[in-house]
Amino acid sequence: MTATMGTPQDTGPLVRGEVPVAGGERAARPRRYRPLISYGRWWWALPAILMVLVIHYLATAGGALYAFTDWTGIGDFDLVGLDNFRRIFEDPTMIGALENTLFLAFGFLVLTNVVGLALALALNRTLKTRYLLRVLFFTPVVLSPLAVSYVWKFIFDFRGPLNTVIGWVGLEPRVWLADPDLALWCVLVVMAWQTTGMVMVIYLAGLATVSPEVEEAAALDGAGTWQRFRYVTVPSIRPSIAIASTLMLIQGLRVFDQVMALTGGGPAGATETLATQVYKETFALSNFGFGAALALLLTLIMLVFSVLQQAATRDRN
Amino acid sequence: MTLQSPRGFRRIGTLVVIPAVSALALTGCGGGDDGGSGGGSADGFTFAFENASGGQENPWVKLVEKYTEETGVDVETNALPPDSFGLTMRTQLQGGNAPDLMMFSPGSGQENSAIPLAEAGYLEPLGDTSAGLVPAGSEALFGIDGTVYAQPTSLIPVGITWNSGAAAEAGVDAPTDFDSLIDSCGTLADEGKSAFVIAGAVPPNPGLMTMAISATRVYAETPDWNEQRAAGDVTFADSQGWKDTLQTVVDLTEAGCFQQGAAGGGFDAITQGITQGTSLGAFLPGSSANELMNATPGLELEIEAFPPAAGGEPYMLASSNYALSINAKADDGAKQAAQAFLDWMAEPDNAKTFTDIQGGVPITGPGDDLNPVYAPVAELLEAGDYAPLPNQGWPNPGVYDALASGVQGLVGGQGDVQSVLESVDQAWDQ
Repeated sequence: MTATMGTPQDTGPLVRGEVPVAGGERAARPRRYRPLISYGRWWWALPAILMVLVIHYLATAGGALYAFTDWTGIGDFDLVGLDNFRRIFEDPTMIGALENTLFLAFGFLVLTNVVGLALALALNRTLKTRYLLRVLFFTPVVLSPLAVSYVWKFIFDFRGPLNTVIGWVGLEPRVWLADPDLALWCVLVVMAWQTTGMVMVIYLAGLATVSPEVEEAAALDGAGTWQRFRYVTVPSIRPSIAIASTLMLIQGLRVFDQVMALTGGGPAGATETLATQVYKETFALSNFGFGAALALLLTLIMLVFSVLQQAATRDRN
Repeated sequence: MTLQSPRGFRRIGTLVVIPAVSALALTGCGGGDDGGSGGGSADGFTFAFENASGGQENPWVKLVEKYTEETGVDVETNALPPDSFGLTMRTQLQGGNAPDLMMFSPGSGQENSAIPLAEAGYLEPLGDTSAGLVPAGSEALFGIDGTVYAQPTSLIPVGITWNSGAAAEAGVDAPTDFDSLIDSCGTLADEGKSAFVIAGAVPPNPGLMTMAISATRVYAETPDWNEQRAAGDVTFADSQGWKDTLQTVVDLTEAGCFQQGAAGGGFDAITQGITQGTSLGAFLPGSSANELMNATPGLELEIEAFPPAAGGEPYMLASSNYALSINAKADDGAKQAAQAFLDWMAEPDNAKTFTDIQGGVPITGPGDDLNPVYAPVAELLEAGDYAPLPNQGWPNPGVYDALASGVQGLVGGQGDVQSVLESVDQAWDQ
């Protein structure tokens, strides 16, 4: 209580310039708040802000202008207005890439968050081996996505371990990554397998803020496991949910490495995403204008979904 | 106040100096390039090329070593990975720091094609010696309006790379007609082997297979099919030849001519299948046979043409898959040095040296000392019964991409012939 009431030795308000000092008349005059001790001025950041604006945003905006041209990467170009965007929505391959992107993004979002939260709840307190298991589940996160994808490519290979295992139970071998019905799911599994550990850690950090006393009190009041989770745990970890879901959605929307390493967008475009199409159109097919339009569309989609995600998961209290 | 002024100046100074220093630093990073060459001089030149042979010795490097030994000219080589070569060259050409001599693909249909770069003014017109090497009928692949910008290097036949040793063990003859090929596929499958191994997961390989098949179904009867398509007289979707070509792929798939899990196979599957003899044939550039035989002692490979349909005539693909061009912004001395190298390379002895190393056929045509792997197609080569790789004459890389991706789908049981051909037409018209 004394701390909140203030003490004769409490110099905080003085330091912050909130109380008059000697010569009370001048100090009591209403004036703009200004700390007596501060650690910087706003313009100290100006060079950095300028650099960010010029190098990051201006360059990006410059790149976005190419979305309205037919530039092939060399020579001159013409302004084509919205033709590139029209072409995107008229091309079944691009529509397929957009659908695949959304499927992977939302599948990734749901899978990583559900499994990550389940792992975090399981490894939060009582289990004796929880520290070892946390390390094991987190290990894939520190590996290179490309390296992980190539390992999984070997697992999914027609003569790989997965087909050997399913052969033991009498199932026919499958061409996992060359089957248009399975390939996208395979990519999703690899993405989720590698990233779930990260989500688990985010939720573990959130669960550390949940007071055991509050949970015990809820239990004493007769709340069941589900009710304690729904009405005590979830509200307490809402910031973690917001962070984990936003990060996973953005990561899912810009998936590239896993698709390129596992399928290269195949078979016959069945696993193409907007990010792989941006790369392919821009650097493999030399359609820089069209690739820039795809990149701009992907950026807008990420922006819109991120804003929606933030709105949906923000703490209304 | 006496303290305020210096502080004020310091503030302003900070605001001015930091961006200025940053700008200078960035300018320094950018270099003071004047759009000139990548460092060649009158005594030598720089030379960039694709290094597709991995750890093996590159034929360009060997050729350059021989050139330097003979002439004393210093050549700085830069071997780059094929998947990023085209993009790197385009970036360097625009940045003004491209090498003096570069390796490209003829025509416009690939990402590292020479003609779009020549149209943009990045390539130097070449001399008469270079022009004299351009195969008749292929002028548009190496130049614009009679001016040559890319010197062809060697002929690379494309057909079936056939493991004759494994075929003899399996009691199968090299395919000469399509029906017997289909029949043999079933027999081989029963023995746990396959007639062909393909990298179904890598679209360019099914794409190359399709082009090899198109030699007899399209280009044998209509060598100027590409020109007709460019003029709008024909389309892929309406072409019986292209329909037959893609139907042949479907027939091969349904007859079990490819290895198990072909749709998911990579290039490693080809290497293993061919060298171990579990598959008898693969669709590869002819020069790959040399590399595979060098890497696998005892391996017997030869190049066969893909068999024609019933009533068709044998025909195949053979073209200069690589061409050399000089950077238009190179220093004059470097340009002359690079042109002197091209002239030296055009001499029959040196052309033969290169093809001996590379495993191709001299651009001047097959002679008595034709590489033995080409013996089964020697008559076709001597008679001129071959067409250049079709995609060299296509207008953009998207056409081949659409074909290769579509055929990848057909091998995996996805899509149909007509929709694939329509997508190829769509890519052509972009």
